[in-house]
Amino acid sequence: MATQIVMDHTGDTRHQFDADDIKALAAAERRFKELTFAGFTAAVRTSSGQTRLARTFDPTAEETLFYPRLVGG
Amino acid sequence: MWTPRLSTATHDLWRFLVDRAREVQARRVRHRELRAKYSPEARGLKLLREWLSPEQREQFNAEGYFDVIGCHSRKKYRIRYGSSANIDELNDAGVPRMGWCFVPNIHLVAGDVMLAQKIALETNERDALAAANRFPRALPQASPSTRSRSRGF
Repeated sequence: MATQIVMDHTGDTRHQFDADDIKALAAAERRFKELTFAGFTAAVRTSSGQTRLARTFDPTAEETLFYPRLVGG
Repeated sequence: MWTPRLSTATHDLWRFLVDRAREVQARRVRHRELRAKYSPEARGLKLLREWLSPEQREQFNAEGYFDVIGCHSRKKYRIRYGSSANIDELNDAGVPRMGWCFVPNIHLVAGDVMLAQKIALETNERDALAAANRFPRALPQASPSTRSRSRGF
């Protein structure tokens, strides 16, 4: 199961989906686009433990984390 | 003849009440523990620990902060527990020389804020610092008398 993790006021909300299920994959891609359009940044953790930004939806990503836009504090 | 019976009944009733009170108390404690475990703060810290490298996780558990390397400048930053003004840029000696402050534009718990800061510095340092505010960190050395008057944590 792949997971999309969205940071929010509850800590985070997790959306799990089966990457082999075409409908679930389409919903995950739609969620990716909605969140990034809303200003969230997507990051993916690679198998080696490194983190990289995901500018486009990666259907093979096991875990994608979305964090809100960053501003000067 | 009635007195011993009454005494036994009172004793049983008393035991029943004490047992119920203990049950309620145990349930309250469990509820409080569950709430603490699933609170936003706890969830934020759990997510942070999941995404830290093993070295960063160890450092955070021991010291309450972790170091990251900026992807563009290769400078070292220290992210301390907190949700604002909690990033120090370190010099070669590991001493804070500049403070940086950038945070998510919605309210998030400290664990989430620190994770967003870590990912931003490790993957998109230039943009993160462009949005950030900076502040001097090198404070004048306090004299021993001033130090003794200051309140410690």
